[in-house]
Amino acid sequence: MEKQPLLKIEQVSKYFPGVQALDSVDFEVYSGEILGFLGENGAGKSTLIKILSGIHLKNEGTIWFDGQQINPQTPHESQKLGISTIHQELALVPYLTVAENIFLNREPRHILGLVDFKRMNREAEALLRDLGADISGHKLIQDLNVAAQQMVEIAKAISYNARLILMDEPTSALSSKEVTALFALMQRLKERNVSVVFVSHRLDEIRQIVDRVIIMRDGRRVGALPIAEATEQKIIRMMVGRDVGLFPKEEANIGPPVLELRNLAAQNGTKGINLTVRKGEIVGLAGLVGAGRTELARLICGVDSLAEGKILIDEKHVKIKSPTDAVRYGIGWVPEDRKLHGLILGMDVQENATMAILHRISNILGAINGKEAKEISAHYVEALSIVTPGLHQTVRNLSGGNQQKVVLAKWLSTKPKLLIMDEPTRGIDIGAKAEVHGLMSRLAQQGMGILMISSEMPEIIGMSDRVIVMCQGRITGEFARGDFNQEEIMRCATQFLTVDGETMAEAEAMDTLEEN
Amino acid sequence: MNNTATKSGQEIDSIPVRLLETIKGLFRVPEFVMFLVVVILFIIGAVMNPRFAGIENQKILTRDAAILAIAAIGVGFTIITAGIDLSIGSIVGFGGVFAALFVVRLGMPIWLGITLTLAMGALIGTFHGWYVTRFNMHGFLVTLVTLGVARGVLLVVTNATPITGVPDGFKFLGQGYLFFDLIPVPVIICAIVAGLAYYLLQFTYIGRQIYAAGGNIEATRLSGVNVNARIMLCYIISVVCATLVGIIQAGRLSLGHPGAGEGFELLAITACILGGLSLMGGQGSVIGILVGSLLIAVLQNEMVMLNINPFWHKIVIGAVLLIAITFDYARRRRRS
Repeated sequence: MEKQPLLKIEQVSKYFPGVQALDSVDFEVYSGEILGFLGENGAGKSTLIKILSGIHLKNEGTIWFDGQQINPQTPHESQKLGISTIHQELALVPYLTVAENIFLNREPRHILGLVDFKRMNREAEALLRDLGADISGHKLIQDLNVAAQQMVEIAKAISYNARLILMDEPTSALSSKEVTALFALMQRLKERNVSVVFVSHRLDEIRQIVDRVIIMRDGRRVGALPIAEATEQKIIRMMVGRDVGLFPKEEANIGPPVLELRNLAAQNGTKGINLTVRKGEIVGLAGLVGAGRTELARLICGVDSLAEGKILIDEKHVKIKSPTDAVRYGIGWVPEDRKLHGLILGMDVQENATMAILHRISNILGAINGKEAKEISAHYVEALSIVTPGLHQTVRNLSGGNQQKVVLAKWLSTKPKLLIMDEPTRGIDIGAKAEVHGLMSRLAQQGMGILMISSEMPEIIGMSDRVIVMCQGRITGEFARGDFNQEEIMRCATQFLTVDGETMAEAEAMDTLEEN
Repeated sequence: MNNTATKSGQEIDSIPVRLLETIKGLFRVPEFVMFLVVVILFIIGAVMNPRFAGIENQKILTRDAAILAIAAIGVGFTIITAGIDLSIGSIVGFGGVFAALFVVRLGMPIWLGITLTLAMGALIGTFHGWYVTRFNMHGFLVTLVTLGVARGVLLVVTNATPITGVPDGFKFLGQGYLFFDLIPVPVIICAIVAGLAYYLLQFTYIGRQIYAAGGNIEATRLSGVNVNARIMLCYIISVVCATLVGIIQAGRLSLGHPGAGEGFELLAITACILGGLSLMGGQGSVIGILVGSLLIAVLQNEMVMLNINPFWHKIVIGAVLLIAITFDYARRRRRS
């Protein structure tokens, strides 16, 4: 790596009112390199990426790209230089087609100035084929899944002759199968001498694909490691500045069943579900994205309605027709997308933490007992160590990990018997992750039943007393603690009903990947 | 060293500094800024025409403001849920015509006629709320239908002629005064409505849940809140308030006019927006709505007192709205 880097950043600093987001950061990317960019939330990764993509302006320092000093002022300028960014939230127009999105604002024209749709579709498909994706140029973006949409974004970046692609947590919404495809694509980009900066919280993934990692903490660069030296422990220690014991699942007494599902089936694709969660037990629900796990949670919580089957709470048959019923029966749901389904972002910590118990803490005239609301929320802020300037801080301004804890506070205040946690640690940093895991253990010890949906294999294996695997809306496997086997779980998760050549080949490819 | 210096420096001038901070804080409250605008407009009016600040004119002004505020509070409920109620202009006409019809034509006692009219309003609100929640529809659509249909019904029922001859007790609601002939009755009704609305929105769990539904309806629903019932309630309150305004207007005009309240929905919505409500929902207060209504009433009254050609009135109100929303959006952008 003695060669000249493609991108070189020297002593860049960035101040926001009240915080220094970046403190004299150096950063470099070589041609044809896949660089893992790591750090907890708030470490400054996103800020640096936004400076490179022209969204934020740096306060100090210099940036060299391909031997020239640059200072992009707008996203457009940075794109013209050859730096493309794939943001966490995809930036495609859902009602336009794939080709229209790729060539937005530079559509090929006929002589008369009309758009040459034929040529546009052809070129779009050629671009995608080059990347190994077989997507029709006519398809509407809204009809594609997230993985395919990402392919389109990458194709768009390539069509701008991007030489550096910045990917901000591209895998957080993908299933393992899709991640495999994305990694294959990154390899292909590498062969074309395009550099990729890859931000992710999933360390196992990072280690599969990158050549080198740069690690940030509190706005500073704390180190860079070639991948051969970057063990998971080492990375984590550098990221948090201390050793973190992930997955501290402790023994809990497992009691009688809290939740029993008998032959559940519904319009939303779930079929023949039989499942039991006991007091003090953490049941891990594994599977690929789209396997029907969230749909199952929606059934239990009364969001979608049952077609067949029975739900038993505390061994009694109950009818759950709405989320109101679910809350009354002692079911809490920490949803996958906390911003969409968990929080009212414009309201403060106290209002969010008491949202599910407002009725309970009100008097006969409906007036909320302000003192009680304050006591309850203060209790959970302390118990969950939520970092906030006060109970009246708007939750929009909290970090992801603290927001997740506010959602937890909301449910814990209802004193639930069963807590459904859908991807409980998605998008939160490692420190907060360990805290959430520790908390789950404690809750189980206190006798709560927990149904945990997770796409992260280490989390499933580390936290569960029992693992249930779903695929295509059915349960395809069950494992007791002690019999956990990553490959077996994966095999069950990919037990598709219609086994055509493609799915088999992919499942096999994934198996070999897991083995490596 | 530096730290201690600033600390002791703060202590020395702590009282003026704190006062300054409080004043600065006040200027960040949109309701307060709007109220200052009202005060400035008031002073301008008083300087330009001494009669403006006189007691007789103030009786007219406050009555206008109160009538507008009652309708605006109603609409405000739907706006807080991120919806809207466009029907209220026609509902104002509806309230006046049906109350007059019941009392004058059918000879009902005043209290019965009014109760019946308000109950009919509640039914219409229920219908709106049902459509909005059942079909997950924006309030704009179904209330737009009512805006047209209700006006049509009024024309059919009255054959386009006003219902005259309302009894004195009825007129009292719009024309009367209480407390040494100083406070117009509509102002008292408005105070009661505003008090109830303030209590509901500020102190009760139902109010919190209404704001929550406006902020993020899905998250609120998943928290076990009966969101549909809350939204339904807001649409009912909206129509009932507008019906009440119609009854007061009929008392004031001494007749039930099928054309009453035309364009009133825009005034009421404008008052809400001036008062700091966001059309995205989840924000705003009854105090703000009151200030917004007062602003419009002062402006309208002043234009009359200053002999400004009535054709200009709508243009001026529109311009004020444009200024208000521009400031509001600039403020929001700076914050985010």
